[in-house]
Amino acid sequence: MATLDLNAISKSFGSAKVLHDISLAIKDKEFVVFVGPSGCGKSTLLRIIAGLEEASSGQIVIGGDDVSDAHPVDRGISMVFQSYALYPHLSVYENIAFPLRVQKMDAAEMDSRVQKAAAILQLTDKLQLKPGQLSGGQRQRVAIGRSIVRNPKVFLFDEPLSNLDAALRGDMRVELSQLHRDLDATMVYVTHDQVEAMTMADRIVVLNGGRVEQFGSPMELYHHPATKFVASFIGQPNMNLIPATVIGADATGVSVELDGGHRMALPVAAGTVKAGDKVEVGIRPEHVEVSSKGLEISVNVLERLGGVSITYGVIGDGTRFCASLPGDAVIEEGRNLTLSVAPENCHVFDANGDVLRRQAAPEMVA
Amino acid sequence: MMDRYTKLQMVGIYACVAVFLTFILLPFFEMFMASLRPLEHLFRSPYQFWSDDFSFDAYKQMWVTVPLLGRYIFNSIYISFMVTGLTMIFVVPAAYAYARLQFPFKNLSLGIFLGVNMFTGAVLLIPLYRVLRTMGLLNTYWAMIVPGVAFLIPTGIWLLRSYLEKIPRELEEAAFVDGASRLYTLRRVVLPLATPGLIVVGVAVFIGAYAQQFLFAITFNQTRELQPLPAGLYEFIGYQSVTWNEMMAAALVGVLPVMVIFLFLQKYLVAGLTAGAVKE
Repeated sequence: MATLDLNAISKSFGSAKVLHDISLAIKDKEFVVFVGPSGCGKSTLLRIIAGLEEASSGQIVIGGDDVSDAHPVDRGISMVFQSYALYPHLSVYENIAFPLRVQKMDAAEMDSRVQKAAAILQLTDKLQLKPGQLSGGQRQRVAIGRSIVRNPKVFLFDEPLSNLDAALRGDMRVELSQLHRDLDATMVYVTHDQVEAMTMADRIVVLNGGRVEQFGSPMELYHHPATKFVASFIGQPNMNLIPATVIGADATGVSVELDGGHRMALPVAAGTVKAGDKVEVGIRPEHVEVSSKGLEISVNVLERLGGVSITYGVIGDGTRFCASLPGDAVIEEGRNLTLSVAPENCHVFDANGDVLRRQAAPEMVA
Repeated sequence: MMDRYTKLQMVGIYACVAVFLTFILLPFFEMFMASLRPLEHLFRSPYQFWSDDFSFDAYKQMWVTVPLLGRYIFNSIYISFMVTGLTMIFVVPAAYAYARLQFPFKNLSLGIFLGVNMFTGAVLLIPLYRVLRTMGLLNTYWAMIVPGVAFLIPTGIWLLRSYLEKIPRELEEAAFVDGASRLYTLRRVVLPLATPGLIVVGVAVFIGAYAQQFLFAITFNQTRELQPLPAGLYEFIGYQSVTWNEMMAAALVGVLPVMVIFLFLQKYLVAGLTAGAVKE
């Protein structure tokens, strides 16, 4: 198994630059998820690693070898596609054996490898069926089976779960995490679903507009988002962002006045911000609680999920605000609600969208 | 429900279908009726649709009137099969290249192929004659096969290209990532999946070859033994009289193989022509 290093990868389609100098160092046996909105370049980056697309510039190093110009097989990668890309006219056995047939491997060795892969993926009794006779989850397993028979150094997954229904997706997430542990392999996984990213990844790469916004562990991204984009992308429901003006900044933190008039003193590194600067205060829905004084919101929509009640409303100046409150909280649509939040749980982003690092938040070891 | 019609609409639909089918099938039916009647009864007036003089004599007599008839039918089928086979050998790689590869003048050359399709063979008969004479192919099977192939390749490329484009690209990418070469992928993945498309193109080419051989046969071939059926039918036109009933009988027997092929392959034809029209 192997490390994967990307050195200043750029990619342009004609005049449109879709990837800007992306450098990443992925460790051996790490499960790394590329996540971002559609069009952020995550699939293109994966296809460049696979060798299906050529980078306009930059270098791909797998296990210490520069493979920038190598054929996918020589890179030691294998890939699972979003649509599974199974060959509908071949049996499950032949689908899994396909990469070995290409190599002209001898029959006995091939059979033992296919059987082993089938056993890992619980497909042993399905080997003679055609892909059309399988359920979505089983097809996904066949696609994974085809990728593991070759014993690649790095597995690449391109949104493999997005064609499955929600319940199955949850099961397959667990199976994939299990598979990662069993195979002890380096895996790169692309998704637009932050839940998949948070649940499966050792480390997450958040991509936006062809640039890396942040590369870190799930909890690091959650507690210390580097940018406003990461903050609003990670976490469910999304973080509330409230425009505010700095009224004072010193070593202990920054004092702000929210556009609705509410004032807060927040323990973040002030950096270069000074009184009068425009900032945005980020508050996660799960960090607020009903209180007698604090932020006043008028509730528009209430979603009772049982364990939690998601409350959507607006604060004084019309900024939308979402709060995740206990399931049996006494709330009514159309009423006003006062919420408080602990200052150390607030995030502050400057005018460029960069974070002012929180001083009191849990320190994460990368 | 979109496929629910009132009784009146159903009657209308069937009436339209009936008119259409009558228009197409009546000539065949009249051919068949003519083939059953004695020659001297064919031109009597007033026209009788049904009479009691039907017999299959013409189907026996035609082999005597034109002794080479069997040979002509064989030639027709042989030439069509050769044309189809050769055309497919050229069309498959060309259509794949047009469907998947990027190369200079791709769209221009496709347009030229379409342009060639607009010419009928008749316009090019004289230049073709000179070409075939120079190559020494006149009065051989090749005189009818080579131009046939040349005129059918463009149609084949256009038909098969659109079919191949519907095969998901990810299948080929998966094969590529697993180390398969283009040719291996074409053989193991693309062509098996394109079978319905190949059959559609094959049948279309075969019918095209069957239909167009007449022109090439009467122009490029003087050897009786090599004539296909449409040209051979001329022999029913004698110095004294034309044995219409036998000619109709021979024509029907000659079309029979094509009809049989159609019957067997029609499910592929429908599937192939509408493939990819809806998401499956």
